[in-house]
Amino acid sequence: MARSVARKTIATPLILSALLIGFALIAWASGSRPFNQTVIDIFLQVIFVVGLYVFVGNSGVISFGHIAFACLGGYVAAWTTIKPMMKGMSMPGLPDWLMGIEIPFWGAAIAGGVFAAFWALVFGAVLMRLSGIAASIATFAMLAMINSIYSNWESVTAATSSVVGIPIIRTLWPYLVAAIIAVFIAWAYSISRFGLALRAARDEPTAAAASGIDIPRARLIAFVISGAIMGAGGALYAHSIGLVTPDTYYLGLTFTTLSMLVVGGMGSLSGAVLGVLILSSLIQGLRWLEAGVEIGTLTVALPGGVQEIALGVVMIAILMFRPAGIMGNRELTGRFARKENPDRSGEQT
Amino acid sequence: MGSVMQVVFDAASLGSLYALAALGIALIFGVMRLVNFAHGDVIAACVFVLLWPSVDAVAIVFAGNLPWFLLIPFVLAMGALLSVLSEIVVFRRFRNANPATMMIASFALGFVIRYFLLMLYSSRPKSISLLPELSQPVEILGARIPLLQVITIIVTIAVLFGLVAFLRRTRFGLEMRAAAENFTMARVLGVRANRVIMGAFALSGALAAAIALILGSQTGTANIVMGANVMLMAFIATVIGGMGSLAGAVIAGFALGAIAVVMQVILPPDARAFRDAFVYGAVILVLIFRPQGLLAARGTKERV
Amino acid sequence: MKRVIAVLATSTCLAGAAFADDDKIVVGFATAETGFMQAYDKPAQDAAMIRIAEINAAGGLLGKQIEVVNADTKTDRAEGAKAGLSVIDAGADLVVVSCDYDFGAPAALTAESSGLISFFLCAESIKAGIQGVGPNSFSASVLAPVQGATMAQWAYEKKEARTFYRLLDTWTEYNKGICDGFDYMMPQLTDATLVGEDTFLNEDASIAAQITRIKSLAEEPDAIMLCTMMPGAVSAIKQIRAAGINSMILNGSGVDGSYWLSAVPDLSNFYTPVQGSVYGDDPNPDVNAFNAKFTEVTGGAPSTQYTYPGYVMIDVWAKAVERAGTTETAAVVAELEKMNNEPTLFGPRTFTPELHHQNQARYLIVETNAGKPAVIDEWTISAPIPMDALLK
Repeated sequence: MARSVARKTIATPLILSALLIGFALIAWASGSRPFNQTVIDIFLQVIFVVGLYVFVGNSGVISFGHIAFACLGGYVAAWTTIKPMMKGMSMPGLPDWLMGIEIPFWGAAIAGGVFAAFWALVFGAVLMRLSGIAASIATFAMLAMINSIYSNWESVTAATSSVVGIPIIRTLWPYLVAAIIAVFIAWAYSISRFGLALRAARDEPTAAAASGIDIPRARLIAFVISGAIMGAGGALYAHSIGLVTPDTYYLGLTFTTLSMLVVGGMGSLSGAVLGVLILSSLIQGLRWLEAGVEIGTLTVALPGGVQEIALGVVMIAILMFRPAGIMGNRELTGRFARKENPDRSGEQT
Repeated sequence: MGSVMQVVFDAASLGSLYALAALGIALIFGVMRLVNFAHGDVIAACVFVLLWPSVDAVAIVFAGNLPWFLLIPFVLAMGALLSVLSEIVVFRRFRNANPATMMIASFALGFVIRYFLLMLYSSRPKSISLLPELSQPVEILGARIPLLQVITIIVTIAVLFGLVAFLRRTRFGLEMRAAAENFTMARVLGVRANRVIMGAFALSGALAAAIALILGSQTGTANIVMGANVMLMAFIATVIGGMGSLAGAVIAGFALGAIAVVMQVILPPDARAFRDAFVYGAVILVLIFRPQGLLAARGTKERV
Repeated sequence: MKRVIAVLATSTCLAGAAFADDDKIVVGFATAETGFMQAYDKPAQDAAMIRIAEINAAGGLLGKQIEVVNADTKTDRAEGAKAGLSVIDAGADLVVVSCDYDFGAPAALTAESSGLISFFLCAESIKAGIQGVGPNSFSASVLAPVQGATMAQWAYEKKEARTFYRLLDTWTEYNKGICDGFDYMMPQLTDATLVGEDTFLNEDASIAAQITRIKSLAEEPDAIMLCTMMPGAVSAIKQIRAAGINSMILNGSGVDGSYWLSAVPDLSNFYTPVQGSVYGDDPNPDVNAFNAKFTEVTGGAPSTQYTYPGYVMIDVWAKAVERAGTTETAAVVAELEKMNNEPTLFGPRTFTPELHHQNQARYLIVETNAGKPAVIDEWTISAPIPMDALLK
C-alpha cells in the first residue's frame, strides 16, 4: 500500500527538485559570484521553509519558534568547525572535548540537525499539548528564551559578539543537495502514517482523537523532524557567510520564513518551495531595479528603500486574491489534464 | 518601606505600558480574531507624525510644537485614522481568511509602514522633546517616580474602566461584544459589521497613539523600531490574559511588567542579563498550566 | 527564460569589463546605502569621498585616478557578503566595509579570502581587524576600550573623581568595549573606588530599577561611567537626570552630537570623548575647515565625530600605497604596519603587525553644559592598552 502511495506522489518532490536544479543551472551559467551567493541564500531559505512546513503545514499550528532550532544548529557549526585556537579565544567556556573538534561542514550540518532535534524533543514534550494560538505564543516564547540565553552566555556563545572563523562554503552544490534532501524528507514524512495522522488531527481534532490518534505525540514527531531540518539548515547558513550571531536567527528570519510559507501555501510542500522561489525572485528583481536597469541610454532605478515596501505590497496582494496561498493545499503533481475536484483538494494520498 | 513601594511603582508603570498595548491588540482580536502585527509600527508612526519628514539628524518638529491640549488629541486622532485606514485598505479583504493569512497580511502591512517611515525619516533615531514637564519626579509614599509614570498608570486604569463602561453601557459597545462573541449571528441580528470593526480599529489606533506619546515622552527619541518591544510583550500579554478578554489582557500586561521589574531587582548581577529568559520561561509555564489564558472570555472555547 | 540569462550575462560582462585596468585604482564601498546602518555609514563614506576627491584633484594616487564602485549591503549580513563579492568582481583594490564589525564582517571576510585589504569605516571593536577577520583587515577608528579608559583617567586626574559607578548597556560589543577599558583603567587609579555597577538593555523603556540602585547608595557617586549608545542612551540619560542624580556622566563617543540634546533640556556635567569636534571649536583650524568643506559638499554639517574616520581611512591607505609604490596587498599592509604615530587630521595613528587598530589615541573632551557642548580639554591615556586587556 505504502509503495503505491509513494509511486503516486513521487512526482511532487521530483518536480520540486528539478526546479531547484534549474535555479542552480542559472546561477552556474551566469558565472556571477554575487548571483551565485543569491541562489545559495535561496536554497537555504528553501531548507528553512520546508522544515517549517513539516510542522506547520501538517499540524496547522503556526510556530514562531522554529528559527530557534536554526540558531542551535548554527552555533553547533561554530562549535565544531572553527579552528581550535580561534575557538578558544572567542568561546573559552567550551568543554575540552568540544574545543578540540574540527569536522567538515557536512558533519556540522548533521550534528546541528541532531542537536536541534534533541531540543525539539525536550521543548516539544512540554509544548505539544497546547493548541492554536497558545501553542504559537509558546513557541515564540521558546524562540525569545533561546535568543536571550545565547545573547548573554558569553563563555559558550560569545554572547552578542559575532563568532567568526567558520569555513565559508561558496560552492552551490552542497546547498542544492541539502535542499533536495530536505524536500524528500518532508515528502516522505507527509505520505507516512505519522504525517497522515497529524493531518487528520489538524482537520478534525475530535474525530482524530476518537479514532485513537495521540495528537500530542503526532505533533511531537513532526516537531522533532522539522527541528532537525532547521538545525541542519542553520548550520549551513553559518557556513554560507562565515559567522553567527544570535540576532541573525531571530525575528527577521522568523517572519521572512513564515511569510514565504503562508504566501506559497501553508498546507502543501510545493507551496513551501514555490513560496520561496517566487518571493526570492521577486526580491532579487526589485533589488536589481533599485540598483538601476539600463534601457537604451537611460538608467531606470527605483528609489532606495522601495524594494521592501513593494515586497510588502505584493505579499498583501497575493494573499488578498489567494488567501490560502499561491498553491493553496494542492501539490505540483505534473498532471494538469485532470480537473481538480474541490472536495478532494486537501488530499495527497 | 520606600524601596518596596519603589519596586511596586516601577512594576506598575512598566506593566501599565504593556497593559495599554495589550488592550489595543485584544480589542481587534476580540472582533476579528486577528492578531495585528502592524500595531507596533502604528505606534512608531504616531510618534513620527509629530515631525516633518526629513533624513537629517536633527528632527524638524512640526506638529510637535502644538500646546499639549491640541497635541494629544491630534496624535490620538492620527492613530485612529491610520488604524482605520489600514482596516479599509487591507484588513477588510481578509475578513474570512484563516488566521495565518491574516497574521502574515498584518505583518506585511507593518513591514510596509516601517520601511515607508525609514524612507521618509532615515534610520537614525530623532530626538524630540515631548511634554518635558512630565519627567519631573514626585514623591509618593517614600518612592520617587517621574510624573509621567504616575500619569501612565492612571491613564491605563482610566482607559480600562472607560472601555468597560463603553462596552457594557453603550449600544455600540454591546454591538462590539456581540460581534466578538459570534460574528455571524450578530450580523444576522442586525449589527452593522463594518461599523463595529472600524470602531474597534479606531479605538485600537487611539491606544497605539497613547503609547506613542508615553514612549516618546519617556525616551525622548523617535525611533522606527520603538514600538516593536512593547508590541511583542502586548502580544504575549493578550494571549496569557485570555484571547478576547480585555480585563485579562490588562492583568497579564501588569503581570509581565511586574515580573520583568522584580527579576531586575532580585537577580544577582551575573544573572541579570538573562532576565528576559526568565520572563519568557514564566510565560511558557503559564501557558502550560492554563492554556486558555487567565481570564478566558466566553465563547472562545472550541466547540466540537 | 532566455531574457533572464541575457540580463544576467550582460550584468556579468559589465562587471567583468572592469577587471584589468592599469590606469586607475578602484576603491570598493560595500556599505549600507539603505537600512538602519545607512545613518552611520553614509557620513563616514562622504568624508572618505572628500579625501578621494582631494587626492584625485592633486594628481591621483601613483599618478592614477581613484575610481569608486559601490554595493549596498542593505544592513543585512547575507547581503553584505554579496556586496563584498560585487565590488571585488568590479576590480576593487581596497574594500571598504560598514561602520560596525557585525555588519561589516561578511564583506570583509570576502575581501580577506580574495587576498584584498578591507578597511572598516568606523568600527571600534578589536575584532575589526586581524583578530576578527584576518591579517589584511584594518579599522579606521579607535578602539572602544580607549574611550572608557580615557574618560576614567581624565575624570580622575582633572576632575578629582574618586567614586565611580559603572552602568553597562549589554546590547552591543561596542558598549562592552567601553566598560572593558574603564575596568582596565580603574585599578591603576589609586584610591578610586567602584561603588556599584548595574546593567540594562538599550531597548528598555524604563531603567527605574537601575536608578533606584544608584539612589540607594550612601552618597551620590562622583562619576557614572555610562557605557551605551544611541538610541537607548537618550532615554537612560533623561531618566538619570530626572531622578535628581547630578553626578558627572562619562560616556563613549557613541553619544557625540548635538542632534539629540533637545530631548534632555539643559543637560550639564556631561562628558564625551571625540576624535574631532563637530561644533566648530576644534583647536585645529584644519578640522573646522574640513567641517565647512563637508557642509559644502553634502549640504549639512557633520552630525557626529564618526564622520571623521572615513577621511582618516583614505588618508592612511593612500599614504601606504604611495610609499609601497603599488596597490599590491602584502606591500601596502607592510607599509601600514610601519606607521607609528602617523599624523592625520584627527590625531596620530599607529598600526602594528599585531594590531590593525588604535589602542591609544588623542581624544578631545567635550563637556555639555546647560545643553551646549564645547571642547574643554584634550587627553591621551598614559600608556596604550595592552593586548590581553583588549582580548579578554
